[in-house]
Amino acid sequence: MRNQNFSKTLIGCGLLGLMSLSGCTKDDKEIDTEYPTIDVTHADAFPKQCSVLTRGETIVFKALLKDNMQLGSYSIDIHHNFDHHSHSTEVNSCEMDPIKGPVNPFLYIKSFPIPDKVSSYQTNTEISIPGDIDPGDYHFMIMLTDAAGWQTIKGLSIKIK
Amino acid sequence: MLKKYYILLLWLLIVAIADAQSPVQKEHVLKEVVAQANRTEIRKSEESLNIEIIKADYIRQHLGGSLMKSLERLPGIKTIGIGSGQSKPLIRGLGFNRVVVVENGIKHEGQQWGADHGLELDQFATYQVELIKGTASFMYGSDAIAGVINTNPAPLPSINTIGGSVDLVGKSNNNLYGGSANLYARSRKWMINGRITFQEYADYRVPTDTVHIYNYAVGLHKNFLRNTAGRESGLHLSGGYIGNQFKSLFYISNVFNKSGFFANAHGLEPRRVNTTLHDKSNRDILQPSQEVNHFKIINRNTLELNHHRIEIDLGYQKNFRQEYNQYVNHGYMPPIYPDTLNIPVNLEREFNKQVYSVNLRDYFQVGLHAFTAGINSEYQDNNIGGWSFLVPGFRQYNTGIFLYDKITINNSFLLHAAMRYDYGMLKMQEYIDWFPSTIDQNNETISQKLTRAENLQRTFQSWVWSAGLNYNADKFNTKLNIGKSFRMPIAKELSANGVNYHYFSYEKGDPTLAPEQSYQVDLSMGWNASKWSVLVSPFYNYFPNYIYLNPTPYHDYDYGAGNQVFQYAQSKVLRYGGEIQAKYKVIKSLTTEVSGEYLYAKQLSGNKKGYTLPFSPPQSILLNLTWSPASGKYFSKPYFSLDYRITGSQNNIVPPEKKTPGYQVFNFQAGSNISLNKQEVQLSMQVQNILNTRYLNHTSFYRLIELPEQGRNIVLSLRFPFKIKEEKN
Repeated sequence: MRNQNFSKTLIGCGLLGLMSLSGCTKDDKEIDTEYPTIDVTHADAFPKQCSVLTRGETIVFKALLKDNMQLGSYSIDIHHNFDHHSHSTEVNSCEMDPIKGPVNPFLYIKSFPIPDKVSSYQTNTEISIPGDIDPGDYHFMIMLTDAAGWQTIKGLSIKIK
Repeated sequence: MLKKYYILLLWLLIVAIADAQSPVQKEHVLKEVVAQANRTEIRKSEESLNIEIIKADYIRQHLGGSLMKSLERLPGIKTIGIGSGQSKPLIRGLGFNRVVVVENGIKHEGQQWGADHGLELDQFATYQVELIKGTASFMYGSDAIAGVINTNPAPLPSINTIGGSVDLVGKSNNNLYGGSANLYARSRKWMINGRITFQEYADYRVPTDTVHIYNYAVGLHKNFLRNTAGRESGLHLSGGYIGNQFKSLFYISNVFNKSGFFANAHGLEPRRVNTTLHDKSNRDILQPSQEVNHFKIINRNTLELNHHRIEIDLGYQKNFRQEYNQYVNHGYMPPIYPDTLNIPVNLEREFNKQVYSVNLRDYFQVGLHAFTAGINSEYQDNNIGGWSFLVPGFRQYNTGIFLYDKITINNSFLLHAAMRYDYGMLKMQEYIDWFPSTIDQNNETISQKLTRAENLQRTFQSWVWSAGLNYNADKFNTKLNIGKSFRMPIAKELSANGVNYHYFSYEKGDPTLAPEQSYQVDLSMGWNASKWSVLVSPFYNYFPNYIYLNPTPYHDYDYGAGNQVFQYAQSKVLRYGGEIQAKYKVIKSLTTEVSGEYLYAKQLSGNKKGYTLPFSPPQSILLNLTWSPASGKYFSKPYFSLDYRITGSQNNIVPPEKKTPGYQVFNFQAGSNISLNKQEVQLSMQVQNILNTRYLNHTSFYRLIELPEQGRNIVLSLRFPFKIKEEKN
C-alpha cells in the first residue's frame, strides 16, 4: 500500500509539477460517486422476491428509495419470465413453473418522477393487473436513478396467479 | 472481383521468381540496409510529436491477445477490451473515434465506437508500429485527436531473394494454439508476399470461482468464463513493381474473427444459462457470439519526379460484423418473434460497412523547407441489420487538404508548421421499429411503430493547425508541439434513439452537435548518457466541446421503454498528464527500466461538471529488470526480463462507472535465437500474471459486472525464418 501511494505521489506530482500544481490538490467541490439504493426487504415493502400476485387485483408497489444526496426518478418494468431468462438480482431463487410459451403475457412499463431535492422516498404506486393475462413467472424490475445519473437496478422474481 | 486480384498476384509471383535469376547492383542493396537501420532514430528526432516505434521483435516478446494488448506495456497506451482476444487502443485515456489506426497508409475503418469488440488487425502481419501520442489531425484528419497508431508491413525483401517464416504460438490460460506462415519472393523489380494466419482459443480463466453480476452470483465451472472462446484467421497477399522512380504495391487482406460473449451476461444483464450445454466444452462458441470479417485492398504508389516524391494510396475496405443472440423480448418487443419478419431470429445486430479511400501526398524540398502537401478523401456506406437497433445506417464523405513545412535551421534545430482544411458530410437514413410501442400522444395512449432515426444530413468544416520544434544536442534532446485537432460527430452521437439493453439505457443522440475541437501542448525532454537515459513527456489538453454520453436522472416512457435516458452532450474538458521513462545500465548485461504514466481529466462545464471522463486509466508504474547475457555458439541475443506493474486505484469516476481498486502484477519474459543445423529458431516465452492475481481493469468492458482479468498465462512462441534463395555478395 505504502509502495502504491509513493508511486502515485511520484508520478502525479513529480511529472506534473512541470505544468500545473492543481493535480496534487483535492477538488474543491465534492462530486457524488454513490449509487442510490432500493430497499425491498423491509416489513412494508411489496412486492418482495418470490411474492405471488393475483390477476384482476390492484397492487401497491412499496419500496424505500434512498440516496446520499438527491434522488432522480424511478421506473417499473413487469415482463414475463416463462422462458426462465432470469433478470433477478436477488440472492435467493424462487420456485419456478415449467418453461412455457407466452400467449397473452402481462407487460407493464411506466416511469415515475420523484419530487425535487428529496434523498429518501417511499413509493406508493398502484398497479392494476388485468384479469385476462397469462399466469406464470414474471420479473418485476425497478430502476432508480439519482440526480447525478447513477442508476441502481433491482430485478425481482414474482408469480402471477 | 477478388478472383481477379488473386490471378494478378499469382502472375506477379511467377514474374518475380523468374526475374530473381537476373544479376543485381550491389550498392542498391547496401543503401537499403543502411537506410532501414537509421530510419527509426532519424524519424524520432525529426518529429515534433511524441512518437514511439515498435518492431515485430517487441510484439513477439510481449505477445498479447491482440495487437493492441501487445502494445499495452508502453507508457500512455492502454486498451479497452472484451474477452481474451478483442481490444481497442486508448492513448492517454482517449479511445474509440479519438484514435486513428492506419494500416498500409490507409485509415482502418471498422466499428470504432463499440467497446465490446476489437480491431480487425493480424498481429503476425504487422512488422512495425508507429505510435503518435498527440494531436495529429493536421496529417490524418478527423479523429486523430488523441493520436495515431500506424501499422506497417515488413520492408521490401532484398533483391533476388526467396524466403519466409513460420510462427507457432501456444497459450496456457485459454488453451490457444495458432500460427502464421509467410512466403515471399523478390526479383530486382517485382515482389510478392503471402501470409496465412490461424488461431483458435478456448474460454479463458480468471482467478475466481464466482462472479457477481449486479448482486446476482454466478458460479464459474473450473474458473472458465463461459463461452469466451474464439477463433481468428488472416489471409494476406501483397505484391507489385519496384522501379527506381516508380513503385506500385498491392496489399490484399482478409481478417476474420468469431468469438463468444460471456454467456451469463450479454452486455450487463444477468442471464440464466444452460450450464450443462455451456460447460460441456470450453472450445465451442455458442450464443451470444459475434463474427466480423474485414476485407481490404490497398494500392500504394510512389513516384520520384524532379525533386518531388509523390505518393498515391488507394483503398477499399469492407467490414461486416454480426452479433448473434437468442431472441429475448425487451420493452414493447413482441413476446413471440414474428415469423413474418425477414431477419433471422438469432441475428441481434448487423453492421455492413464499405469504405473507399484516396490519399495523395507530395514531398518536396525548397531551400531549408521540406514540404508535404496532401489530400485525404474517404467515402463510407454503412448499412445495418438485425432485430435490435442502436445506430442508423448512414453515408459519409470526408475530404481534407493540408500543407506541412519542416524547416531545418541547422543540424540540431528544426521547426514545424502545418495547416489543414477539412470538409465532411454525413447522411443518416431513417429507421422505423418493426414492432409497435405504446406511447402517450395528445393525452391519448396509442400503439405505433416508432421512427427511431429521421433522414438527416449534416455538413462540417474545420481548420486545424500545428506548430512545433525539435532541438537535438549531443545528449540532450527536446520537442515541443502545439496543435489543434478536430473530430466530426459520429452517426451514433447525432442519431442514436433507442434502448441499449446491454446497459438498460435509452441512448439519445443530438443532431445539432458541433465538431469536437481539441487544443494540446506536448513537451518531451530526453537525456541520453552512456549508462542511463531519461525521457519525460508531459501534455496539456483542452476541449471546448468534448462529446460525451451523459447519464441523466430521467427515465423515458415513450421512446425509452422506461429506461434511463443517456443523452449525448458537449462540455468543456481539461486534461493533463504524461509519461516518464528512465533506463539505467547496471553492468553490460543488466539493465533496469522504470516507466510511469499519469492522467488527469475533468469536465469544466455541463451536467457532469467536476467529474472525470469515462474510461480514464489510473496512474501506473512499471519496473523492469532485464538480463541479456552474451551470445554463445548456439544461443544468440538471449534475454530474461521481469516486469513489475503497480497500478493505482481509480476513484475518480463518472456515471455509470465503478471505483476500481489498485493492483500489482508480475510478468516474466525470456527468449533467445537458437541455431540448429544452420536453421535459426527464435524462441520467446512469457508468464503473464505470474502470481495469478485477481484484479479488475478499470477500462475493461466487463469492469461493470466485476469480472476480474485473465489469470496466469504462459505464452510460448517459436519463429522459424528461412531463405530458399539468397543473393551472394
